[in-house]
Amino acid sequence: MELYYILGLPLLFAVVAATNMLGLKLLHIADRLTATVVFGLILHMAAEFAAHPHEPIRQGFFYVDSLSIWMLVIVGALYLAFAWTSKAYLERDTNIRYGYLRRFTHLEGRFYALSHLFVWTMMLVVTVDSLGLMWVTIEATTLVSALLVAFKFTRTSLEAAWKYVMVCTVGICLALLGTIILYYGQLQAMGDVLPLNWEFMKVHADMLDHDVAKLAFCFLFVGYGTKIGLAPMHAWLPDAHSEAPALTSGLLSGALCICALYVLLRATAIVMPVVGLDFISSMYVGFGLLTIALAVPFVVVQRDVKRMLAYSSMENFGLLAAGFGLFMPLAAEASLLHMFNHALVKYMLFYTAGTIMETYATKNMMRIHGMMQQAPKTAMFWLLGIVGILGMPPMGVFFSKFYIIASFFQAHHPYLGILALVLLAGMLIGILYHAMRMLGGKPTRKAAGELMGRLDSCVLLLMLAVSGVVSAFAYELPYVGTLLTEAAKVVMGGVQ
Amino acid sequence: MEYLVVLLLAVVYFQTRVMELKRSVVCLMAQSAIIACACLLAGLNHGLMHALIPFALTLGVKVLFIPMAMLKLIKRITDEREIFSDINVNYSTMAAAAFLVFGYVLGSRFMLDPLARDFFAATIMMIMTGLALMVMRKRAILQMCGLITLENGIYLLGLIITEGLPLVVELGVFLDVLIAVVVLVILTNRMSLSFMTTDTTVMRKLKG
Repeated sequence: MELYYILGLPLLFAVVAATNMLGLKLLHIADRLTATVVFGLILHMAAEFAAHPHEPIRQGFFYVDSLSIWMLVIVGALYLAFAWTSKAYLERDTNIRYGYLRRFTHLEGRFYALSHLFVWTMMLVVTVDSLGLMWVTIEATTLVSALLVAFKFTRTSLEAAWKYVMVCTVGICLALLGTIILYYGQLQAMGDVLPLNWEFMKVHADMLDHDVAKLAFCFLFVGYGTKIGLAPMHAWLPDAHSEAPALTSGLLSGALCICALYVLLRATAIVMPVVGLDFISSMYVGFGLLTIALAVPFVVVQRDVKRMLAYSSMENFGLLAAGFGLFMPLAAEASLLHMFNHALVKYMLFYTAGTIMETYATKNMMRIHGMMQQAPKTAMFWLLGIVGILGMPPMGVFFSKFYIIASFFQAHHPYLGILALVLLAGMLIGILYHAMRMLGGKPTRKAAGELMGRLDSCVLLLMLAVSGVVSAFAYELPYVGTLLTEAAKVVMGGVQ
Repeated sequence: MEYLVVLLLAVVYFQTRVMELKRSVVCLMAQSAIIACACLLAGLNHGLMHALIPFALTLGVKVLFIPMAMLKLIKRITDEREIFSDINVNYSTMAAAAFLVFGYVLGSRFMLDPLARDFFAATIMMIMTGLALMVMRKRAILQMCGLITLENGIYLLGLIITEGLPLVVELGVFLDVLIAVVVLVILTNRMSLSFMTTDTTVMRKLKG
């Protein structure tokens, strides 16, 4: 029953917000209320589930197991963060003096409606029970978020949205082809009971034909890989992430791409027994490391602050893909934890980057110096976020990255581990160089003052703290350890 | 059914040669109408309801709504800065022919039934031609036509090899195609407002 509330409330709010019925003040309150209630329900469901982790919830078209719960918690946490930072963001963005959206009116309703709809589609992705419906919902996320990417309707944001829709729709069409081929395999092997149902196919996975499953996996990997942003299909990612409004960038980077990764993992669990571990593992690890390798040079020469963050996201998705590709319990748990950490820290960073852009009225990092003097609070958050995303202790990302790299060595791939470390070091140098230039030095540009408010800084601090505490004490905290272990088992499929 | 394949191939060939926006959309409409007929004929073997729902949806969404929306868009957009950056259409026709041969080569490997092989080759050609149109055409509306050709091809392939996806999924796919076109129409409209053209070559600011 909770599931229906979780999925119903955001939709209800989106419809109400789209009609512009509520006044602005009421709109902000309703936004926060919806997200808080939904997140509370998710936490409650997670706690209940962790008590009996072996009984997935099956209701109608929905199937929720530990992996779905973990993803729901991530999406819900970002939803909560979105709701509590959106008022500050929108007020800044529509500020009559420096805000970008100052020329428009009545945008808030539309922005809220689209954002909540976006979160709603992502929640659907992680709760539906069949691979076909997962495809449908993933495509729906692309379409809703495309309107958010183009929200400001500037020339560059139109370009980004066009590229985003075109590249992702083609990619997702290939995934549909893969799904159809998989369905063909199912029809051949198991008849037409429970078509494309994940749980059913998982149980009978070894009946699939080897060639059909392999072909399906290739199409699914390329298709969903496009949506995750794996190189060389990543062309849309930096554009969309950098041109979207800051809050949307945070959601895109933190939640959307890992939702696509979730679907790919589900599909992989089905084809794994017949296709074999070697092929799948080498695809994941190879494309994952290639993605990191491609992101590094672009970060070093980057001038646009949000594009730099977008390439950093690519690095993290690459690491996630490689981590899952090892198919070891430690690596899978670390990667799941990394999804959580990356989502929180990257959302926080995109929010801060949006603030910096408003403060200095530019995206060009080369023109921003002396943030420490001009906007000390924003500067502190920028520094904390950068340190966090680069994986320095005691931030949460440190733990998850450390375990992923450690499992490379445990899996007897020392050279790949060293390669990953070298690439991560390159990333660190690139990002730190730009961030430090922005923080230090003499101010050369007029700033709009300190724009970070009280409430949003509390939310950002809380996000960093939660990420750190959850990662450091994952197995000491109640529920978290159980959920992680169980979710990792789902990811691993039958592999021991 | 045999006539449908021939008609479909003819329409897709024609699609590769059309540069005018309105005609291209009409081509798309004809192509979707043929797919709708194929839907009906393929479904009749499995009971009336199984045939009628996809048929009605294809008719409503792909034959009526999408082309109408695109035609309405074409009327409204202002192509003041027309840039004819398209390369010779003969290349895309040649490519389509090559894709058809490729489809038959692929089909003869998997399928024995000649009719199924014809359809299989046609779908492969549609998928590849749709991709080629999206890459080679520069105008937004022609790219949209390419996208829908690609989608039609995949849909038809699903129809042949699996006799259609499960009904819920099929409904979802139709809904997605519908929303995709609405989103693309909104974006194209905005594009023509802020760039004064719908030629996508003007959008090249985002790099690196």
